Amino acid sequence: MDFLVSVLEQGLIYGIMALGVYITYKILDFPDLSVDGTFPLGAAITAAMIKMGVNPYLTLLIAFAVGLCAGACTGLIHVKFKVRDLLSGIIMMTGLYTVNLYIAGTNNVPLFSSETIFRNEMLKKMFGETVPKWLDIVIILIIVLICKILLDLYMKTQSGYLLRAVGDNDVIVTSLAKDKGNVKILGLAISNGLVALSGCVFAQQSKVFDISMGTGALVIGLASVIIGLSFFKKMSFVKTTTAVIVGSIFYKLCVALALKFAGATATKLITAILFLVILIVSVDRKRKVKVNA
Amino acid sequence: MKKRVLAVVLGMSMMAAMLTGCGGKGDSSSASGSGEKTYTIGISQFAEHGSLDNCREGFIEGLKEEGLEEGKNLKIVVNNADADPGTAAQIADGFVNDKVDLICAIATPSAQAAYNAAMETDIPVIYTAVTNPIAAELANDDKSPVGNVSGTSDELPVEAQLKMIREILPDAKTIGILYTTSEANSVYSIEQYEKLAEDYGFTIEKAGITNTSEIQLAATDLLGKVDCLTNLTDNTVVSALPTVLGLANEKGIPVFGSEIEQVRIGCLAAEGIEYTQLGKDTGKMAAKVLKGEAKASEMNYELITESSLYVNEKVAENLGITVPDTMKERAVETFTEITE
Amino acid sequence: MLELKNIHKYYNPGTINEMCLFENFNLKIEDGQFVSVVGSNGSGKTSMLNLICGSIPLDSGSVVIDGKDIAKEKEFKRNQYIGRVFQNPAMGTCPSMTIAENMALADNKGKIYGLRLGKNKLRMDYYRENLRQLGLGLEDKMDVKVGVLSGGQRQAMALLMSTMTPIRFLILDEHTAALDPKTADLIMELTDKVVKEKKLTTIMVTHNLRYAVEYGDRLLMLHQGKAVMDCAGKEKESVQIEQILGKFNEISIECGN
Repeated sequence: MDFLVSVLEQGLIYGIMALGVYITYKILDFPDLSVDGTFPLGAAITAAMIKMGVNPYLTLLIAFAVGLCAGACTGLIHVKFKVRDLLSGIIMMTGLYTVNLYIAGTNNVPLFSSETIFRNEMLKKMFGETVPKWLDIVIILIIVLICKILLDLYMKTQSGYLLRAVGDNDVIVTSLAKDKGNVKILGLAISNGLVALSGCVFAQQSKVFDISMGTGALVIGLASVIIGLSFFKKMSFVKTTTAVIVGSIFYKLCVALALKFAGATATKLITAILFLVILIVSVDRKRKVKVNA
Repeated sequence: MKKRVLAVVLGMSMMAAMLTGCGGKGDSSSASGSGEKTYTIGISQFAEHGSLDNCREGFIEGLKEEGLEEGKNLKIVVNNADADPGTAAQIADGFVNDKVDLICAIATPSAQAAYNAAMETDIPVIYTAVTNPIAAELANDDKSPVGNVSGTSDELPVEAQLKMIREILPDAKTIGILYTTSEANSVYSIEQYEKLAEDYGFTIEKAGITNTSEIQLAATDLLGKVDCLTNLTDNTVVSALPTVLGLANEKGIPVFGSEIEQVRIGCLAAEGIEYTQLGKDTGKMAAKVLKGEAKASEMNYELITESSLYVNEKVAENLGITVPDTMKERAVETFTEITE
Repeated sequence: MLELKNIHKYYNPGTINEMCLFENFNLKIEDGQFVSVVGSNGSGKTSMLNLICGSIPLDSGSVVIDGKDIAKEKEFKRNQYIGRVFQNPAMGTCPSMTIAENMALADNKGKIYGLRLGKNKLRMDYYRENLRQLGLGLEDKMDVKVGVLSGGQRQAMALLMSTMTPIRFLILDEHTAALDPKTADLIMELTDKVVKEKKLTTIMVTHNLRYAVEYGDRLLMLHQGKAVMDCAGKEKESVQIEQILGKFNEISIECGN
């Protein structure tokens, strides 16, 4: 039970990032490497602000806004300066490394003695001196649900339609008399906003910012998106956003299982095999459905 | 259909791998002596790295010296986070869920993750290879623990190093240090050097870099201003140490190291930390906690009791420097060649 | 009125592959005209459309609409008053969005794409009515993804979508070329109907000489960036396919093949 709860916590936190990666990778068809920089960016800005005494709940919004700006920068580099998609991500990722260090002041900022969204005076007043552990997952779940619902709603707006159209067929966006570049910038901004928000929640949950937390973030996000989407491909009643979040939980479950059973050295290999099994099983089911139909 | 079979085969082989993986450990716990309690320790190592590996081995040895032996009355689970804080958090959660008797965390991010996960339980956390536990908020300013967490720091023996440099180079005035601005440990060590340098009649000339590509320029510039260089455990600089050594040798400027490996590859000498020894010290702390002789929440973190001197005679010969015989005798290890 | 004035366009300028496409090209299209453009490959038909729409830049010259030079205007801005249907049916619709969503997307052209709900329930009946007129049964598949429709169905939708909002010009870029003959006929009939209904100024590039003769009130034949044949009104009505074919052969002989 505890095992599942901690997997859920981690999976849901990274699920917010997976939502962001889903926008760039699946909707915009843009391999956005800036994620490796914006995930710790969210964490860095959170750590710095919490140390300054900013209300932890406010940091959620600020981290999102800062990520939004960083994503817009990636978009501007790509659209306005005509830099290739991968390269604009790499440029942002590289630059953000230093920016993150500058914001946080150092490569490791612990928040053990600071207020977070999980442990603060307000919650202590509500729940007593020791805030119950189950509250963590509840808070995370609320944040994830808000992100998911808002994203779902956004995708149903006119602006959201345009965003979906630009990845689908950017010619039509031009035909609709809209600048496809601006739509891409918007998409990248929202995506990186979510990624930074995920970094913000992660920093508060693990109570530390560490510069190394961005390394491989995009890979985790991509794996979550692909696992989620292929697993739920034929279940049309499952929204893609839900699938992506579940994908993230699966990812963390694979890692947790590998850690639990594989010992110190084979973790990555076992994680990889688990992914492969999930993907093969889901591909197999797709085919069966087709045969039956 | 074929694919499904393949998937099942893969899954089965994975299960087999898991079983063999656990099997060994299972045996060890069942082999424990009757009546005696078997302890379970979760070791969370942040990354695969020579010094950290030595730490881990030393830790297990230290426990053994205190009568806690793997396979007899001790079960050890080792996990490696592969340098990802997210994984480090999952490892720590996993250990807490498995209700291990003690978590040993190697390196700062793992230590913080372990402390965070175990914070509201009674599982003690013993860390090692955390350079600055105070900055990591694992200890208060007076070195007392912030919770049920204690351990050892791999802070450089700066004073011993300065003493050694003075002994070998009686006339030197300026010591140069290359460091990476993003590495908190390096920044901390520099502060220590600047604080203590005056006592030994040195001034410190530092040059900060942000990545490996800047080393060549920074080192060339720095070498024009100093009598010798000393090295920290800075990951970026250490990875490019051969470049620095090459430049320094051209000018005949001695470079001092901070650990055994650096002396092996061409630093003149080092007052360094023996990570195996550090691990052993940590293991003994852990044993005390497990046996109930002490509480992690009441133990201050410890620095290594004595630094170890390493000398490379070949380098001394090349530079035309004579290392005092007393030092040669004191040295834990003396190299007579340069391994590149 | 649409005017192309002194258009110059070179491909690969300054390189060994430099190729002059248009040199001092001029064309005037009156409001309400339906111009069919024919010509061999490389004659500049599609390039002309791209220059009008701004998909490729001009070297010099001007594109004038109602006395205003739009040559500097960006492609997406020009599309405010231009509707375009491409040869490839996939380019006029969004495959992963449903029919209703595609219709709603097109319906909002020229307005702000803001945070209002994309699908306006009140407009659904209007969309259905529009789709019904295609006679393809699409009105009953409002929630089906466009990606699963056939090329002809998609092209019909693309035509509908590009003419849904008020536009000045309709640009048809070989829009029947990728379809089978029967579907092509259907799309062509639909096109004619829409153009007549909305009184659109239309430029249609086609390889199908029959369509060029049958539809439209002006016929233009391009060759090596020049209009070698241009007839309108009565003169156009009397043009026979054989005449055009004859002209084609003449050109080919001139070229030496």
